[in-house]
Amino acid sequence: MSEFLIRSLDASTIFTIAALGELIGQRSGILNVGIEGVMLFGATLGFMAAQTTGSYLVGFLVGIAIGALLGLLHGFFSITLGGDQVVSGMGIWILGFGLTTYIGNPYTGPLGMDRIPSVLGVSPFFFVGLLLVLLTWFVLSKTSLGLRIRSVGENPSVAEVSGINVSRTRYLCVVVSGMFMGLAGAIYSLDYNPVWNYNFLMGWGFISLALVFFSMWNPFILLGGSLLFGILWQLSLNPQLVLPGLLSRYLWRTVPFVITIAVLLLISTKWFRSRWGAAKPEALGQPYVKQ
Amino acid sequence: MRLGSTELKLEKRLTLSGWQAALISVLAIVFALLIFSLIFILADVNPLIAYQKIFSYAFVNPHGLPLTVNRFIFLLFCTYAFIIPYRAGLWNIGMAGQFYIGALATYAVLYAFGAKSFNNSNLSPVVIIPLMLLAAGVGGAVLGAIPGFTKGKYNISEIVVTMMLNFLTFWLVAQMIKEGGLFMNPGGRGESFEMPASLHAPLIADIPFTIFLVLAFALLLYYMFAKTKIGYQIRAYGKNPAAARYAGISALKIPLLVFIMGGALAGLAGYHYFAAVPGVYKIARNYGYFGDLAFYGIICGLISQGNPLAAIPVAFLFAGMSNGGRFVQGELSLGFGIDYALLGVLMIALVAFQFFYRYSIVWQRTEKEISDVGIPN
Repeated sequence: MSEFLIRSLDASTIFTIAALGELIGQRSGILNVGIEGVMLFGATLGFMAAQTTGSYLVGFLVGIAIGALLGLLHGFFSITLGGDQVVSGMGIWILGFGLTTYIGNPYTGPLGMDRIPSVLGVSPFFFVGLLLVLLTWFVLSKTSLGLRIRSVGENPSVAEVSGINVSRTRYLCVVVSGMFMGLAGAIYSLDYNPVWNYNFLMGWGFISLALVFFSMWNPFILLGGSLLFGILWQLSLNPQLVLPGLLSRYLWRTVPFVITIAVLLLISTKWFRSRWGAAKPEALGQPYVKQ
Repeated sequence: MRLGSTELKLEKRLTLSGWQAALISVLAIVFALLIFSLIFILADVNPLIAYQKIFSYAFVNPHGLPLTVNRFIFLLFCTYAFIIPYRAGLWNIGMAGQFYIGALATYAVLYAFGAKSFNNSNLSPVVIIPLMLLAAGVGGAVLGAIPGFTKGKYNISEIVVTMMLNFLTFWLVAQMIKEGGLFMNPGGRGESFEMPASLHAPLIADIPFTIFLVLAFALLLYYMFAKTKIGYQIRAYGKNPAAARYAGISALKIPLLVFIMGGALAGLAGYHYFAAVPGVYKIARNYGYFGDLAFYGIICGLISQGNPLAAIPVAFLFAGMSNGGRFVQGELSLGFGIDYALLGVLMIALVAFQFFYRYSIVWQRTEKEISDVGIPN
């Protein structure tokens, strides 16, 4: 049972970090629906780099770097070119899905390195995740940088008039956002489940996207949501823990997706949403054109 | 950028004609193929030879061309599954799942008529084929109704829900056709039972009749968007959901309707591929590959800008390129996934070229010394 809890925490860490990245971007007004693609890139290139060099550090750095690059690309499409952010995000997802399938294929199989040692029984990244939640909350709500980010996400023209460089602030956020997603992908392929197979993320990036909407853009609610999803996923991957022999193994594989939709449904009802104040960035998804 | 007395300037487009859009799309595809050459070069393959092989296999070769045509029918159904919600500003990326359910529903009809246990030649194709088509459409529509409903009623991101349903239905197919499943092949090869020969779809010049079906839908959809009230409502909702609500268009009806229609068409793709394509006639072991291929529908839909008629040549081209890509992968012993990589590169090139839907590059004589050239940011 404790093994189960540990795995749940490990899974939730990946949701937390990826969704935090998305939250930072969204707070500045940039929606990136391509998290899955960024994570696939971070996971695949991180895996390849770690296996080639034999160094975990290199693997994670590569994962973060490719995340930053893709964040920059999304920024270029949606900030500089002022394009539709959903189209750009979709592009990044399909690019990630298509290209990693091809370039990762020769690396199909286990990583074949010693597992990353656990700290106090759980993956060290669990603590990294907690730290990032605190840091994100602190920067967004307690610093002048955070105020700048939020004002750019709420009302870019007013922010611009008050002397904030909207483009630069948004670029900063999408790049950091991409780094978080790339790191989350690398944690999946190097620590959580170090076996490469094509399109192995099974929609975790899309779930992280849903988590941000769920969190009302609050890092702490986001952490809670990630823990919930981590436990639910782990439960459905280990059916013998709940109801041995009830469903066939293929049907059990569908359970996480059923649960995800059910939870989304529950938290989107008026009843649930009226309990929490929404803080949706007003300018989310709208390209900003300086007049 | 300046060259002598002329300068290169970006100008915001006020209108975009169909021909301009087509030109931009062609440029995007050419650009993507140029970028994609890098992948061939990195694999020590001459890109010119690779492209020559891709196109000749896809569009000339007597073995390749029928595969391209069948893939084209499949892809056009998937493109329409994307286009209908897209015109309402919604993203259906669940065509893979709706396609799986269409396939399952088709085989459910066969199963219900006892086609699995005994090879019953008394089964009348005149009754069963329409039933299979109907079941496939309804199956896809029911799956499509889920994201339509959750979007319309609870405003849940349709992107997330459709993606979850893709994975869910992938495992549902495995449940039905793999060990112990209802539709399992008696030989147990991880595929479904084969359909009786009497129920094979009618072929016209070796092409399944589904080609007429999908082309009829092309006209029907074109007519719907151009001339009907519901088409107008869908477009109005896509332009501005809030304004459409004020105009009395139901916020639930449109998302639900477009997803039901889109899902039904993706469901028909499931009938087409596993019950009408010569030589298949069962839910194949690699059904997941076709699910992945369904994502080409997103690119076709975006390139054709939601125009059902423009989607026809685009789907034909991409059907051929993915088919040829798969062929050269074996022919030139490249790694697995060339057609996936092509999908990715095409998509990102298209995203980049979307910019030119809004801006054009013009050469202008410079009149003033100082000119502020650049993209507004």
